[in-house]
Amino acid sequence: MQRRQRGVLRLAALLAAGIGALAWLGRSADPAAKPLPAGPLTLGAAIAFTGNANLYGQDQRMGLTLAERWAQEAGSPARPVRLQLEDGASDEPSAIAAFNLLIRQGVIALMGPTLSQQAFAADPIAQRQGVPVVAPSNTAQGIPEIGHFISRVSAQSSVIAPLSLDEALRRDPSIRRVAVFYAQDDAYSTAEVAIFQKALATRGLTPITVQRTQLADNDFQTPITAALQLQPQLVVLSVQAVAGGNLIRQLRELGYRGQIVVGNGLNTPNIYPICQRWCDGILIAQAYSPELNTPVNRRFQQLFRQAHGDRPPPQITAQAFTAYQVLFEAIQRLQRKGGLTDVTLGQARANLMSELLSGTYATPLGPIGFSPEGEVLQDRFYVAEVRMAPGGRDGRFALVRELQLQESKP
Amino acid sequence: MIEALLQLLLNGAASGGVYALVALGYTLVFSVLGVINFAQGALFSVGGYLTFLLMGGKIGVNGALPGWGLPGGLPFWLALLLAAVGSGLVGLLVERVAFAPLRRRNAEPLLALITSLGAGVVLVNLLQLLMGAEGYAFPHGADALGGLPDALVIAGARIRTIQLLLLLISAAAVLALSLWLERSKGGRALRAVAEDATTAQLLGINSEAMVRLAFVLSGALAGLGGGLIGVSVSLPGPYFGIGYGLKGLAVLVLGGLGSVPGAIAGGLLMGLAEALVPSAASGWRDALAFAILFAVLLLRPSGLLGRRTVEKV
Repeated sequence: MQRRQRGVLRLAALLAAGIGALAWLGRSADPAAKPLPAGPLTLGAAIAFTGNANLYGQDQRMGLTLAERWAQEAGSPARPVRLQLEDGASDEPSAIAAFNLLIRQGVIALMGPTLSQQAFAADPIAQRQGVPVVAPSNTAQGIPEIGHFISRVSAQSSVIAPLSLDEALRRDPSIRRVAVFYAQDDAYSTAEVAIFQKALATRGLTPITVQRTQLADNDFQTPITAALQLQPQLVVLSVQAVAGGNLIRQLRELGYRGQIVVGNGLNTPNIYPICQRWCDGILIAQAYSPELNTPVNRRFQQLFRQAHGDRPPPQITAQAFTAYQVLFEAIQRLQRKGGLTDVTLGQARANLMSELLSGTYATPLGPIGFSPEGEVLQDRFYVAEVRMAPGGRDGRFALVRELQLQESKP
Repeated sequence: MIEALLQLLLNGAASGGVYALVALGYTLVFSVLGVINFAQGALFSVGGYLTFLLMGGKIGVNGALPGWGLPGGLPFWLALLLAAVGSGLVGLLVERVAFAPLRRRNAEPLLALITSLGAGVVLVNLLQLLMGAEGYAFPHGADALGGLPDALVIAGARIRTIQLLLLLISAAAVLALSLWLERSKGGRALRAVAEDATTAQLLGINSEAMVRLAFVLSGALAGLGGGLIGVSVSLPGPYFGIGYGLKGLAVLVLGGLGSVPGAIAGGLLMGLAEALVPSAASGWRDALAFAILFAVLLLRPSGLLGRRTVEKV
């Protein structure tokens, strides 16, 4: 009996030692527990290079690369920073995998993922591991609320979306019949359409029809046919870029001649080749205007034109530039304050998050800051109208109105 | 009300025609080899991009050669035909790379599913490398079709011109293929190989050549579908053919594996079912279409027009 008890005790001790060894090994493998190495810090970006969202990802890559060049131009920084790009693809598992990979490699902060839908899946991982995230393009409600380490430079739809509705109503105050289209399987789209509907309600308008589509749809003739039977005076679209371009084209081909207000998903010149001459006249609210005359925006545009020819940069590129810029500037300030000296990577990440949220930044988007929750504070917004060139192959977002919102001043 | 119904029916028939094209491609390969070519969706994308380039479209800023394009541009009809031929040749390449080596080694047919899937993924990624991920629309949509108007009004229903063309061209292609299979020497040889490759070989038919022909035709049908859909709803990115490939696969099963009339009937049924989903539930269109597939297979496991196979013991 005693021998048996001794055997059990020995087994328990062995197990405890094994668990202890594993815990120690695990601890030593966690880069956050290691001292922050001297030398350049790595900013990780998980953006969509593949899948349906890579249209946005490619614009974001441009913005990040330009921001890297802009940072190099500033001379020798207090703390050098390098950029590491990973493909976050267009789905949730890929975004999670990219975040995990970058975190394990010891990045100081993360940028991305491209879609709000992905952010709801991947951001909690960064939050649990205490890695700051700056989202360049997630506009759905609830992103900064995921946790203390999650922030964004992309103003949420609730601030921007109603501005374009106001412009449509200003142009035609007699509008009463509104048709709404959105993709029911997309987090961005469902969040934004709720905001559009709320904005319509506060303006005394009830949609005569709400047509639900799917993210991968490109043929919208059935929902358009149903909507046009109700003779709408205004159509509101909250879908992603390519689908939106197709929807606009099919709406016009099927005879709709009224105003079209679109959401942030169509905030890219990549829609021009899709809807061509049919894009003309659509109204969109924007968080960025190429026409903003500030030194940093002028420089951003110069860099963009040098690299990508004589065309204005898209909003999503400006936002990606801004994500890099705010992290770069926060790192430099923190380095000068000593917040990156004799600390572990985990502490450095926490210090960086506090520093990031406390600063204000002169960016291509205009002056911005952050709320304590990580929500971007930006007060300049724009309403633009797409004006296509005579050939119908290229166009521009022509500034219609610039607005300063006091409640979201940085 | 009648106008709206007519509009929906024509839209459904046009979509169904394209599904039938894709399903016929699957059917041809399945008939001769007993396997499914999962690269069919990628060949659909190839056809769309080839049509675009042949019509004088230029590669966008995110492509490998930004701004590059063929000088001038061919008329839509010629571009569509040449793109179908090009897709057929790519289909042949898929056969040589993903199917022939396995056949020579008498490998498990299931392996060909994986190699063809791999070939499809490679094709789509090559397209992305070359063309970038941006969407492309054909020059001025329906204007490219010889100055035809954007839409036509038929019995009070406003129909996009391209939808009508899509329906007519799909129907013509399906009819031509059916006649060729039924009446020509080559078609009969292909059917003989589909029936029994060994016996066909003994009768002097070159089975290998027939397999290659099936892949060329299958690729050409996918390419034709890709070009037509491209003109109708643009090219939303290199992955756009994958969805149509999956839909074609569902149609293949719905109509009955290996049945040409089944592929046509299945395609039309699927297209019409999607079009007739009430607009309030249009977001559930795919779910409804696949629910129909499920119900048909429960009632008729061999598909609508498939033959019931009897296993001899």
